[in-house]
Amino acid sequence: MTAPFYKFGFFNDEISLIIAFAIGIFFGLVLEKGGFGSARMLAAQFYFTDMRVFKVMFTAIVTAMIGLFYLSWMGFLDLSLVYYGDTYLIPQILGGLILGVGFVVGGYCPGTSAVAISTGRIDAIFYALGGMFGILVFGELFPYITEFFYSTYMGKINLPTLLNINYGFIMLLVILMAIGGFTAAEWAEKAMLKKREGE
Amino acid sequence: MILKIFAEYPPRKRLGLVAILLGLISIFAGNPNGKTMTKINAQEISMISSKEITKIAVDELANDIIKSKFDYRLIDLRDAKDYSEYNIPSSENIEVDQILNSDLERNENILLYSDNDIESTQAWFLLKTQDYKGVNVLRGGIESWKKEILFPACSCNKTPTIEQKHKHDKLLAISKFFGGSMNLVSENNTDGQNRKMPVIKTPAKVTLKKANGKKKREGC
Repeated sequence: MTAPFYKFGFFNDEISLIIAFAIGIFFGLVLEKGGFGSARMLAAQFYFTDMRVFKVMFTAIVTAMIGLFYLSWMGFLDLSLVYYGDTYLIPQILGGLILGVGFVVGGYCPGTSAVAISTGRIDAIFYALGGMFGILVFGELFPYITEFFYSTYMGKINLPTLLNINYGFIMLLVILMAIGGFTAAEWAEKAMLKKREGE
Repeated sequence: MILKIFAEYPPRKRLGLVAILLGLISIFAGNPNGKTMTKINAQEISMISSKEITKIAVDELANDIIKSKFDYRLIDLRDAKDYSEYNIPSSENIEVDQILNSDLERNENILLYSDNDIESTQAWFLLKTQDYKGVNVLRGGIESWKKEILFPACSCNKTPTIEQKHKHDKLLAISKFFGGSMNLVSENNTDGQNRKMPVIKTPAKVTLKKANGKKKREGC
């Protein structure tokens, strides 16, 4: 038995939707428990007052990375079938910036806005409506920006093959980056707290 | 001693250390996609090969192409010259020695063919050792394709029954679809071997509806 199970046909489309539903419920639950359903908590990242979201996210990245690497190395998983998107460098940088601005201003990312709606937060409802409106605008504008949308195409690339270095080395770098990030985040939290007390 | 110091650390520091350790080990673990080195259980492979080489008949393939319900990646294993002279519509050219460096995915339905069964079986083995799941072989390869699809022999009687007539018409239609012709046995007794292959224009692709119609958009 090799994962990804869906891609090897262990279950069909219908079952996959049920599984997705179950995973989605738990994902939402964990996000809410982690405090991601609060716009204040999410916006706090950008003011360095509470770096919880940053820490949770980076921990998730590192955990998933280590898990995928070793599962694949042991032969339980075909890493080449795990999906990640193609790279369109400049459009994606621009898209990331727009998302980031929306993140700071609105206090949610698309997923956490859904979590916040479920607990009845009205700002999240407006945030999601705004997102849908944005989708509409994007769809209508698409014919005019198609060329840019598909520019700087780099194919399906990843760091190890692009830089031609060992997968494990990249792993170690990301882990060290995470630990460095956590240390810096806690330092920033303390510094901000002091500053506030001083005020 | 080391364990004792380790146990005294707070949990998050312990987790961090474990992560660093796993990262260090992974440097020596190599490429997780590792495609070149595998251990092969010879016993298992020989068992599989006697039972599991799934072969697909040429008329089945022809039918599927005509009805465009074809959902295999059709791989032509012959060299580029043969491929450019003639290939089965919708096929791609990957030679046997390149098969493991190709962009074939382990979950894809793959149908291999070459002149006959030999090279396609080799490629089947190569892919099987790398855990490819849906690999199939076109029974008889191009030779069967020629004999049964492009230039089928006509077993015409002078007074065909309705069934014979029906069968004959069907064969004729199929062979015409692929640009071949009926080989009338009564006319001359050649086996279809001297017939000219249909000329294909490059790129030799029949515009099929993209075979991977099932492919979904992924991502979040």
